[in-house]
Amino acid sequence: MELIINGKVQQLEAKTIKDVVEHFGLSSKPIVVEADGVVLVSEQWVDTAVKPGMKIELVHFVGGG
Amino acid sequence: MDTWKIGNRTLHSRFFIGTGLFPNPYVQQEAIRASGAEVLTFAIRRINLEQTEDDSILQHIEPEQFQFLPNTSGARTAEEAVRIARLARASGLSDWIKVEISANERTLLPDALETLKATEILVKEGFTVLPYISDDPIMCKRLEEAGAAAVMPGASPIGTGLGILNPYHLGLIVEEAKVPVIVDAGLGTASDVVQAMELGVSGVLMNTPVAKARDPIKMAQAMRVAIEAGRLAYLAGRIPKKKYASASSGLEAFKLS
Repeated sequence: MELIINGKVQQLEAKTIKDVVEHFGLSSKPIVVEADGVVLVSEQWVDTAVKPGMKIELVHFVGGG
Repeated sequence: MDTWKIGNRTLHSRFFIGTGLFPNPYVQQEAIRASGAEVLTFAIRRINLEQTEDDSILQHIEPEQFQFLPNTSGARTAEEAVRIARLARASGLSDWIKVEISANERTLLPDALETLKATEILVKEGFTVLPYISDDPIMCKRLEEAGAAAVMPGASPIGTGLGILNPYHLGLIVEEAKVPVIVDAGLGTASDVVQAMELGVSGVLMNTPVAKARDPIKMAQAMRVAIEAGRLAYLAGRIPKKKYASASSGLEAFKLS
């Protein structure tokens, strides 16, 4: 399925947001997901289906002031 | 030192330390330890999907020991800041947010109107909002009225180390404020920190002057004691300035002649 992840077009097999997170090996990391503008807490990942063309943002905390 | 509060959280340290720009995680961790800070700031960014092994900053920091203060840096509008704030809160790590909205790349000075708008929205959504704002007493009052838990006027532009450009305004902000005032941005060294604390602010937020010092760990310690010195001097009350000398020994009549 074609998804837009962090601004880049990606082809990957995924049914839910949880699959996307696992695809990138981020399951155990403190990350946050936004799908088509909706912020998802980790408990929602398994129930959120992905659709072709969905815009997904995978973000995390970095150093900052 | 005397304690203070932001929202429901009692704080013992008056140092908010930023986590960017440190030469390596070890120095960062030791500098945080030396600073005695309880509040750590972070930014929110996209994960680099080509290099997910890249270690997250949180791997080196025990979340339960600190209050996290994520910022909205990178936002140019209230809408973008609100989006980043919601992402930050979804981490489950903190509902505090530093609203930081810059419309000018060269100065990174805060956009007051967008900052006020974002503060209003985020307060309604239940965030503990700490807006970064210019050293404008009226804007600070407006943000307080909008429900900000603290106001964070800049001393000078971010990362410049120019120190306090307008101590008169900072003094007015402190006089008027009913919420804590935290000087955020522009401080360069310990004397700037002492000056800020002597003006009666509740705390200071620093990143660059510690992280980019020749010895960040030592500078974190210097800043910590500067905060204490300035706070104590503020509480003790300085003498008024006078134009001419006045002898310390007094008793004119007993002078040897």
